[in-house]
Amino acid sequence: MSELIIETKNLTKKFGATRVVNHVDMQVKKGEIYGFLGPNGAGKTTTIRMLLGLARPSKGSIHMFGKDIRKEKLAILRKVGSLVEYPSYYGHLTARENLEAVRVLLDVPKSRIDEVLSIVRLTKDAKRPVKGFSLGMKQRLGIATALLGNPELLILDEPTNGLDPSGILEMRELIKSMPKEHGITIVVSSHLLSEIDQMATQVGIITKGRIIFQDSIHKLREQASSSIKLTVNDVEAAWKTLLSNGFTTDLVQNNIYIDNGTDDHVAAIVKSLVEHDFSIYRVEEQKKSLEEIFLELTGKEGGLL
Amino acid sequence: MAALFKSEFYKLRKSSIWLLIFVSPLLSFFIGLLESNEVPQYEGVQWVTSLGMMTIGHAILFLPLLTGVFASFVCRYEHAGGGWKQLLTMPVHRGNIYIAKMLLVALLIGLTQLLFVVALLVIGWIKGFPGDIPWDVIGSSIAGGWLACMPLLALQLFVSVAWSSFAAPLAINVIFTIPNILIINSERFGPYYPWAQPFLLMMPDSSESFGALNTSATTLFIVIIGGFVVFFLAGLFYFKRKEI
Repeated sequence: MSELIIETKNLTKKFGATRVVNHVDMQVKKGEIYGFLGPNGAGKTTTIRMLLGLARPSKGSIHMFGKDIRKEKLAILRKVGSLVEYPSYYGHLTARENLEAVRVLLDVPKSRIDEVLSIVRLTKDAKRPVKGFSLGMKQRLGIATALLGNPELLILDEPTNGLDPSGILEMRELIKSMPKEHGITIVVSSHLLSEIDQMATQVGIITKGRIIFQDSIHKLREQASSSIKLTVNDVEAAWKTLLSNGFTTDLVQNNIYIDNGTDDHVAAIVKSLVEHDFSIYRVEEQKKSLEEIFLELTGKEGGLL
Repeated sequence: MAALFKSEFYKLRKSSIWLLIFVSPLLSFFIGLLESNEVPQYEGVQWVTSLGMMTIGHAILFLPLLTGVFASFVCRYEHAGGGWKQLLTMPVHRGNIYIAKMLLVALLIGLTQLLFVVALLVIGWIKGFPGDIPWDVIGSSIAGGWLACMPLLALQLFVSVAWSSFAAPLAINVIFTIPNILIINSERFGPYYPWAQPFLLMMPDSSESFGALNTSATTLFIVIIGGFVVFFLAGLFYFKRKEI
């Protein structure tokens, strides 16, 4: 069992009577990219705000780096870089000045500014006022700010929000390179499964304030149960024949489907069809996409993709 | 704390709002310059009468307004670009952020006051006022005016932190500043009205004493310090608990 960077227990946040975050037990291991996934309004941002001490939990505890956030908040925040929802910036300052205003607080050497600027490739635009930046550039500046204090944990809330496809790709590559190159643990939230699928090693799925799945991305993929699709000449007759021979199959849109069939089971069905002189055109495996699993888990709610 | 103040100062310096510290001293300079106090009865006390004349516009209108503008402004760039979120996830105490912002505004008001003195000295030099400058009168007037801005500053900072709008705290400030002209005449309400306090403490009490100017300095100090403590603690408590 590797070291836990974030561990929440029964984390709950109430706004009035509604529990926006409901008994969340989040566990993030060192060196992982933890994809925090959920539809809009599921409680992702609220959870992240509590992790960063911006909001106070109604109930439950948060431990980060083994420390209680209520007791050692500043020591924790010292090791965390964050970007919450929209990038924060001072419009009247240039990119470099923005970083300088933060650098003074973090007490890191001035050279670090050039380093983070080059990581997010803003060196050329460093002398321009940020109010003239595109959203993508602001987002990159936000990442640069988050990286400024050499954090051990990076919390990024919807970092690809509002970015164009090339910006998204860039951001993804950047995020993926962090744990390898700098040993940083990352929590990245998104409402897009494809995003998480392409970068995360661990996944936590939250919906209506509850975590409904938390494990490695491989475990999530394994849940993608497969079925075998058969295309034959006379579907109706074939289905009836199979039924009379004791094989239960599904007839959907002129195809026969075998759910969770073992190899032997599939072989027996095919054999039976051949013996009854049906022409078998195709035998295909149909895997459920992660998309469908996600929709199943979250109960087909919220606008997705 | 030092780092916080440095960072706050850096953010402010790069904006142009600090230039406002010149506005009131400049206007007061022209008022003082145009005023003719070459009447025999003012002979020998021109420094104080000029100070009095200049104080009227400066302390009734500009000091309360500037206090509000500066307080709003040090919060404005945090509200506008989501700066609070970033600032509050830095390894710094929330209370210290609040205090740093307050000190910064106090510093700006202080600079305004110093420039105001400079304006008075230049006028005296141009007009050839008698050589012995009454530093005690000028000093207590300037320091008093600055001190009297503190409750107002605490109140305005509280409002500015609470409201993400830049205009709303300013509008409130203007609405409460305008009646100043009447309220300073009231012996009953004047001393307790945060917007009137800068004038009451800044006005040198040599010339005509009217309205609330009769209130004893002790009462004023108690009201001002009391008001500051109440507004400051309320704002600090609010800010420490505020959810971003």
